Amino acid sequence: MHEIGVRETTRFLGLTFNTETILMTWLAMAIVIFVSCLAVRNLKAVPTGWQNFVEMIVVWLHGQIDSMMGKRGRLLAPFIVSLFLFLLTSNLIGLIPTLASPTNDLNTTLGLALLVVTIVHCLGLYYKGGHYIAHFFQPFAPFVVINMIEEIAKPITLAFRLFGNILAGEILIIVLLRLTENPFLMTLPSVAWLGFSIFISCVHAVIFTMLSMAYLGNALKDSNE
Amino acid sequence: MIELNATLIAQILNFLILVVILRLVAYKPVARMLQQRSDKIQGDLDKAESDRKEAEATLVQYKQKLSDANVKAQEIIDKAEKVARDERDAAVEATKREIEQMKKNAEEDIQRDRERIAAQLRGEVVSLSLAAAGKLISKNIDNKENERLINDFINKLDKEKLGDLSC
Repeated sequence: MHEIGVRETTRFLGLTFNTETILMTWLAMAIVIFVSCLAVRNLKAVPTGWQNFVEMIVVWLHGQIDSMMGKRGRLLAPFIVSLFLFLLTSNLIGLIPTLASPTNDLNTTLGLALLVVTIVHCLGLYYKGGHYIAHFFQPFAPFVVINMIEEIAKPITLAFRLFGNILAGEILIIVLLRLTENPFLMTLPSVAWLGFSIFISCVHAVIFTMLSMAYLGNALKDSNE
Repeated sequence: MIELNATLIAQILNFLILVVILRLVAYKPVARMLQQRSDKIQGDLDKAESDRKEAEATLVQYKQKLSDANVKAQEIIDKAEKVARDERDAAVEATKREIEQMKKNAEEDIQRDRERIAAQLRGEVVSLSLAAAGKLISKNIDNKENERLINDFINKLDKEKLGDLSC
């Protein structure tokens, strides 16, 4: 971000795209795919190097998927693993000077949140059919209003939480360095904030993934699971 | 700043492309590897368990064999001891018999020697007595009479003296 709040746009096929967001997304995708390729290039029974890292994430997410989404959850495991790796990378690349997080753009976070919610409702309808629609009218028919608000709030909260945290983190990095004439004075606060931003980046990647899993779990789980 | 446009659609598509690529490139191999590893570990554990059971069974078998061998060894030792005891008893018996025999022989030898010595002594006594007596009565008695007297004397001596002569 060169100027806070202003985004360069490109028009393509009559549609407007945020250039930086798209480019940074491709960079994040490239990093994720590169690291994954490094990890699987030479898969061994005794893991070394990047294989450890990717395996650790996959094993941890498998555990979460099994506990939160039941026996059908493994179907969505590639989606969940990709979501987490993409969000983690996206959040972190914004901390590198001159780069920006794709997740500092509401288009990215809302896009992902809508995708998750769409999958939730599609899977809910597919696996539960009429029961899925009926559960919006529980415990009484008028509750449909509250349930609708909840369902609409899900993607909005999911999107704005991530977007707000990442954008605020990046803005503050820029602001801290411009607070005084002498940027060296702000070294310590900047470094401290950078460290905290790394933590926040990881935490919000986890939160987004976990909430998505919880929503997906509701749609996937049998009533007796 | 909060401005929604076609980027949203593009991001969804980008992410879906990423999911497809990652699933093909990374997720499947890693998941397969994890499954293989977990299968291998399970297999190794099962094998270890079965090996342990087999080892335990072999141990029980060996212990049984060892205890059988001990029993058998004890039997052999008992048998050997019994044979040795019998042989020793037999040897002792034979030795006792031999000693008895030797004692008997010795007694017989002693008896024989005593008789021989007694006879010898008797002869000597007779000769001496005769010599002494002959000198005293040489002029009165002739040789024939002399012979008769000697025999009488010896017979008397046999009956009265030599019967309880101790040597």
